[in-house]
Amino acid sequence: MRFILRRLAHAAFLMFGASILTFLFASLAPGDYFDEMRLNTQIAPETILALRAQYQLDRPLPERYLRWIDSVIHGDLGYSFSYNSPVKPLLLVRARNTFFLTLTATLLTWGLALPLGVRSAEYLGRLPDSLISWTMAALLVIPELALALGLLLFAARSRWFPTGEMVSVDFSSLSPVHKLQDLVLHMTLPLLALVLTALPLLVRHVRAAIADVLEAPFMLAARGHGIPRHRLLYRYALPAAANPLISLFGFSIGALLSGSLLVEVVMGWPGLGPLLVEAILSRDLYLVIGGVLLSTLFLVIGNLIADLLLYWADPRIHADLVAK
Amino acid sequence: MSSECMQPLIRVESVSKYYRHRRILSSGHIVHALNGVSLSVAPRSTLALVGESGSGKSTLALCLACLERPSSGTIWFGGRDIAALDEKQMRAVRPQVQLIFQDPASSLNPRFTALEIVTEPLVLQRRWKGRQTRERGFALLERVGLSAEMASRRAGEFSGGQKQRLAIARALSLEPKILILDEALSALDCSAQARITNLLLELQSSFALTYLFITHDLAMAAHIADEIAVMNRGRIVEQGVPQKLLDSPEHEATRCLVTATPQSIMTSRISGA
Amino acid sequence: MNERRQLAKWLIVLGVLHGVIACAGFFAPYDPLEQDREHPYAPPMKLHLTDTQGHFHLRPFFYPFRMREGSLDQYDEDMSRATPLIFFADRSAYRLLGLVPCRLHLFGTGGERVFLVGTDGFGRDQLSRILYGGQVSLLAGLLGAGITLLFGWGIGAAAGYYGGWRDEVLMRLSELFLALPWLYLLLGLRAFLPLAVSPLEAFLLIVIVIGLVGWARPARLIRGVVLSVKERDFVRAARGFGAPDGYLLLRHVLPETSSVLLTQAAILVPQYVLAEMTLSFLGLGVPQPLASWGNLLANLQQYSVLVSYWWMYLPAVAMVPFFLGYFGLSSALQEWATPHK
Repeated sequence: MRFILRRLAHAAFLMFGASILTFLFASLAPGDYFDEMRLNTQIAPETILALRAQYQLDRPLPERYLRWIDSVIHGDLGYSFSYNSPVKPLLLVRARNTFFLTLTATLLTWGLALPLGVRSAEYLGRLPDSLISWTMAALLVIPELALALGLLLFAARSRWFPTGEMVSVDFSSLSPVHKLQDLVLHMTLPLLALVLTALPLLVRHVRAAIADVLEAPFMLAARGHGIPRHRLLYRYALPAAANPLISLFGFSIGALLSGSLLVEVVMGWPGLGPLLVEAILSRDLYLVIGGVLLSTLFLVIGNLIADLLLYWADPRIHADLVAK
Repeated sequence: MSSECMQPLIRVESVSKYYRHRRILSSGHIVHALNGVSLSVAPRSTLALVGESGSGKSTLALCLACLERPSSGTIWFGGRDIAALDEKQMRAVRPQVQLIFQDPASSLNPRFTALEIVTEPLVLQRRWKGRQTRERGFALLERVGLSAEMASRRAGEFSGGQKQRLAIARALSLEPKILILDEALSALDCSAQARITNLLLELQSSFALTYLFITHDLAMAAHIADEIAVMNRGRIVEQGVPQKLLDSPEHEATRCLVTATPQSIMTSRISGA
Repeated sequence: MNERRQLAKWLIVLGVLHGVIACAGFFAPYDPLEQDREHPYAPPMKLHLTDTQGHFHLRPFFYPFRMREGSLDQYDEDMSRATPLIFFADRSAYRLLGLVPCRLHLFGTGGERVFLVGTDGFGRDQLSRILYGGQVSLLAGLLGAGITLLFGWGIGAAAGYYGGWRDEVLMRLSELFLALPWLYLLLGLRAFLPLAVSPLEAFLLIVIVIGLVGWARPARLIRGVVLSVKERDFVRAARGFGAPDGYLLLRHVLPETSSVLLTQAAILVPQYVLAEMTLSFLGLGVPQPLASWGNLLANLQQYSVLVSYWWMYLPAVAMVPFFLGYFGLSSALQEWATPHK
């Protein structure tokens, strides 16, 4: 129980620190949203001053930060200048889409990486391993940008897949089956881009972790007892490799999140990524801060889940903490 | 050859050393490494410090070599209390008290060549010019029985015995008054031990060195030392000439050590140089 | 020994690749900023060895493009004007490696222009732009990696060597930086710096931003090495000879960290080149008309370009041999640094 509390406190500390960091960077910027307006001679300088005061951009930094923290606690994430709407609803819709894409990608990637990695480790050095390793190496050297753009190119030229958006314009009028089909069609290529980029490294690590475990004496003993191969791999080896794999899981969430930004922007998936880029280009302060922090939150929560899974899965950690 | 009438070269008085294990948000617990240790070493003699692991021998060695500062007590050397010196003053004293570590693999940087290792102290102390330093390095190597061709080989390639010779040569480069050998022979095989022991005895007479020989092996101590001090749990519990300790040990700890010593060593003790 | 040979092999491969990009002026037939308004979005040209009469020519030649009447981007080969390539041609001036003024190009043409990889909307030769763009992207990656490693080494060594509260604070800070999703942090940082700046300023800006974002992981790795080295007896012994902190760090600690630094470098450089490409692709990096692999790809954000002009995708492929080279290098480095049991 204390372990859980400690990790929660740690996560809270991370979020707090991240918020300070982001706010600091944001405020160090020379100029702000209203600088563009200043160039427009039709708008009087007084109006700009008034707008600044209205959005409290003229207050000193610590005060702005404290006000912002205060409003966050009350559920208000600030105001977006360019969308002319509160930040929170904008973020939440996009966050849902990103979350959906990233979650599916994580599940798919792990769903592929585990069998591939295990198979590779099982036949270490032989044909299946070489095949898998070489394919993964080939995938590894293709940069994410190239892959995403390539898939987009394929979609545009073949017209088999739509290019952009999560659903078609007439989505609401479709039957449930067609709705699902529409969603899947839209999701396929972004998913493919994310999975293919994340897969190689993951397979490599799974392979290494399982290969390590397979050499352990207890595995040899189990084999000597005549336990069938499938059980050996999935009921003995895999749980023993749980420690490094679960840590890897936490790490992969972060990687997929960063990766999703690019994929979303390139392939037009309406998630946090494109929103953030737009906000950046228009210097929409609170939207940018909100976006960065929300994605940090995803990451921190993902790592927290990984930590908790680790705690639950690895009895040695229990024992360690009890001894203390 | 101990001479009780001469002034001791180094005198330790009631030295104690505490370590506190600190962690964030929790009070640490205290480890008493040394608890009121007193002893003295006569010049040009060999004092053996014997005790089990954890008795505080290495900590005392570090304090004497000015690599650790005692929590309390005084250490008289060269007319002053070296336990109370500041960092700069300590740096001046350190060359005179040199330490030879137990594991030559970790006390020598394996990437350095033999010559670099032997001349490192000279380079740091900036005593001579470049070429003279090299010549002195070669001379030192030869003195400990390593040939000049070995000078450019990396330390990692040497054997255990050769590495300890290198460590000794390095220690000698600054012309120390006292050499502290902290389990210096424990990691070597028997024949290497014998050879290095002979080298040490020979060097002692040529360079007028004083040795503080730390070991857990009473037999080895008896072989080489003029006087033995037994340490237990941070304290000196018994001190005297080897014969007396072997024949009639007084303290419990000494008795333990004696019973662990093979009979043959005790009956045929050869006195050193 | 085998590890050494592997290492050498990959170093040579990377050296050649970087060499080609470094001498972009020599390998590129044209100036990357030179526009040709008569040939916008021209597709890649084919080189021929046999002409329409079936004669074989040793020197490759091409048929120049003429724009089709009534279209804006369709071209026909002008079969009447077979134009040969001239090797080692003396053409437009450039500075080799940015220093030496030179006029020699690997190949060039007479009056007509050859577009081996097509042109963009302004009629600029893509091959030349890819080669010159590589200079910008690779330099950004290399400089950024240098900054990160310098920073990471300094912080990691300080944390590991001095320990105590400095170590705690620095490690908490590194955890913070690791907790933020890398790309989001990069974009966030870039966002809050001036957007409309000169190409040189933009380049420096993104190099600094990329370099500063990634210090955390190398710092932790270096710290680990320093912690283990610090406790080694030879460091204690050197201190016993009167060695000051600076000497210990430089002479004993730093060499131990060299293998970590090298492996990290091999991993970071391609990552950072990709970061530059991403930033420039999104319009936050190196601006036009200066070429970089990222902003060359930015054209593809227009749907019309994506569908009709497939050769605009090729800069994405240019990165692949470099990735391969760095990947091979980092594997070879890891083999060399930690030999198999």
